[in-house]
Amino acid sequence: MTTSASQPELKWNRYDAVAALIVALLAVAAALWFYLPKVNSGGLTVVISVDGQQTERVRLDRFTQATVSNGGYTLRVASDGEGVWIASSDCPGQDCVHTGRIRRGGQSIVCLPAQVVVYLEGAASPDAPDVIVG
Amino acid sequence: MSVMRKMQWTTKNLALCAVLTALALGLSTLENLFPVSLVIPLPGVKLGLANIVTVFALYELGAAPALVILLARCCLGSLFAGNASALLFSLLGGLTAMVTMIGLKHSRRLSIYGVSIGGAAAHNLGQMAAAVITLGNTMVLGYLPFLLAVSLVTGTLTGFVSALLFQAMAHVRLSK
Amino acid sequence: MKKRLICLALALVLALPLMGCGAPKTETLDIFAMDTYMSLAAIGDGGAEVLQACSARINALEQKLSRTIEDSDVSRLNAEGSARLSEDTAALLRAALDYSEATGGAFDVTVAPLVSLWGITTDAPRVPSQAEIDALLPQVGFRHVHLDGDTAALDEGCAIDLGGIGKGYASDKTAELFSESGLSGGFVSLGGNVYVHGVTAEGNLWNVAIQDPRNTGNYACTLRLTDAFVVTSGGYQRNFTAPDGTVYQHIIDPATGYPVDRGLLSVSIVTRRKNGGTGAMADAYSTALYVMGETAAVDFWRQQGSFDMVLVTEDGRVLYTPGLSDCFNQTEGSGYDYQCLAA
Repeated sequence: MTTSASQPELKWNRYDAVAALIVALLAVAAALWFYLPKVNSGGLTVVISVDGQQTERVRLDRFTQATVSNGGYTLRVASDGEGVWIASSDCPGQDCVHTGRIRRGGQSIVCLPAQVVVYLEGAASPDAPDVIVG
Repeated sequence: MSVMRKMQWTTKNLALCAVLTALALGLSTLENLFPVSLVIPLPGVKLGLANIVTVFALYELGAAPALVILLARCCLGSLFAGNASALLFSLLGGLTAMVTMIGLKHSRRLSIYGVSIGGAAAHNLGQMAAAVITLGNTMVLGYLPFLLAVSLVTGTLTGFVSALLFQAMAHVRLSK
Repeated sequence: MKKRLICLALALVLALPLMGCGAPKTETLDIFAMDTYMSLAAIGDGGAEVLQACSARINALEQKLSRTIEDSDVSRLNAEGSARLSEDTAALLRAALDYSEATGGAFDVTVAPLVSLWGITTDAPRVPSQAEIDALLPQVGFRHVHLDGDTAALDEGCAIDLGGIGKGYASDKTAELFSESGLSGGFVSLGGNVYVHGVTAEGNLWNVAIQDPRNTGNYACTLRLTDAFVVTSGGYQRNFTAPDGTVYQHIIDPATGYPVDRGLLSVSIVTRRKNGGTGAMADAYSTALYVMGETAAVDFWRQQGSFDMVLVTEDGRVLYTPGLSDCFNQTEGSGYDYQCLAA
């Protein structure tokens, strides 16, 4: 049996342990970097839809506020990083303002007169509902 | 001591590459039968059995043939699965792993275990990158710590099986 | 070299058909119709066409049922006191009257004048005087509607509004379109009237959440369903607070003329296609049982039995029917006391 230069080293040596340790440290670092800063708004995207078409998509934790005008009405969308709500609107009925704050994927705020919908799209989790009644 | 041996593209070696590609595809299909996600509920968690072929090819045939087998396996694999978008994931994962393993092997410090673990970790990093690009958001990075931890296990497993292969081959001398 | 290229090209071409098999595609469509926001989704080949067909069907229905469109069947009937109705409207009115009969008048399409009097869903809600209510009460009651084939007649001074059952009927039509199309799955949410068809893109039952009336950020419970209609009625959806602090919600009791206050926060009705259940029934019954209150609603369910329901009560209980027990999931930390009703 010849030992050529390309015959692989088959025994676990201490450099392997170092490599394994580096990977483990990478895992810990990734965990810390990812989970420490935020707890809740993970993965949600704020979507604003006007006349049935999506006009804006922003990550919830980067969304500050937005003003949407359509159908002669103007709405102000506000956020606290964990949820969004309609801060003000000049539509009749004010249903959108009364809906309050939404903070889960799948929830939506609808302003019928303005034909504007603000909803949260979530990271798919097996327990997340596909549709909400109520 | 010597330069990386370059494989000659003889008919025999070509056939060997083809067989290895088929083997890698077969192993991919096989590992899809194991519901690993019941034990570890993460998307993209795989046993990485096909990497055994990659590691083996890398050591036995050299970097270029191993790369060719990898590319062939990714392209054909995504065609067979009928899922063209999975190609980006396979390729990014596979190429990152390939580059990492070539580098690690070249350093000569690590055994086949270290190289496999490095490859498995790099594979996950590559797939993560593909996921972030496809989904357009960085939420999936939350899985990274767990996937990296799992790659320690799968990398060791791959290294172990490859080591067994080479030990067995020492008695058989498949190539040459 | 040329031979290699040809072989490579041939190999690729032969391999291409293999790409046909993959995860089914999901198409979605959002529209504003019937005075509300509607969201539709279809999974499978030809989903986009099916959704377009649903949209067209819904718009056609709206043309017949809307009170704001002058020559719709309903507007003509209200204006002239009698009219010939189209097939859809006649069928819908027939069903509405049957449900009124079955629920002892708790569901009532003639309650529109009272709803307008209170104006709770408009910009200017108010508390009317007893006299104003008494003046309108005689004109409320399903017996004032006479339907003979496709001709309808109303007693003097009465008006109908099919809004409380129209969306349910629309969901029935979309369900039919989904079934005929052979789609593997889909769902529609027509202003809160939900229908789920088949399975999700991953092959699972649909996970339908019922909103928590006390906390609209959360769910009271979730149900895993297929080929089923779910409709929820509840006072929390729309209400106004009078100057003296009393909260009046938007569902009016046809018998008294006042907003219902019988201890229920919401009623959700679940009907299944395989049992012959319809969206129109779910829509009508959800309002009717909310009006009835807990005791009467549970009695009604015991006699009728052709549907399932989830009741959320003011005193913190969530009651559900045994037919839902294998698909019902409580929501952790909701603070509700969950009870399965005895058959």
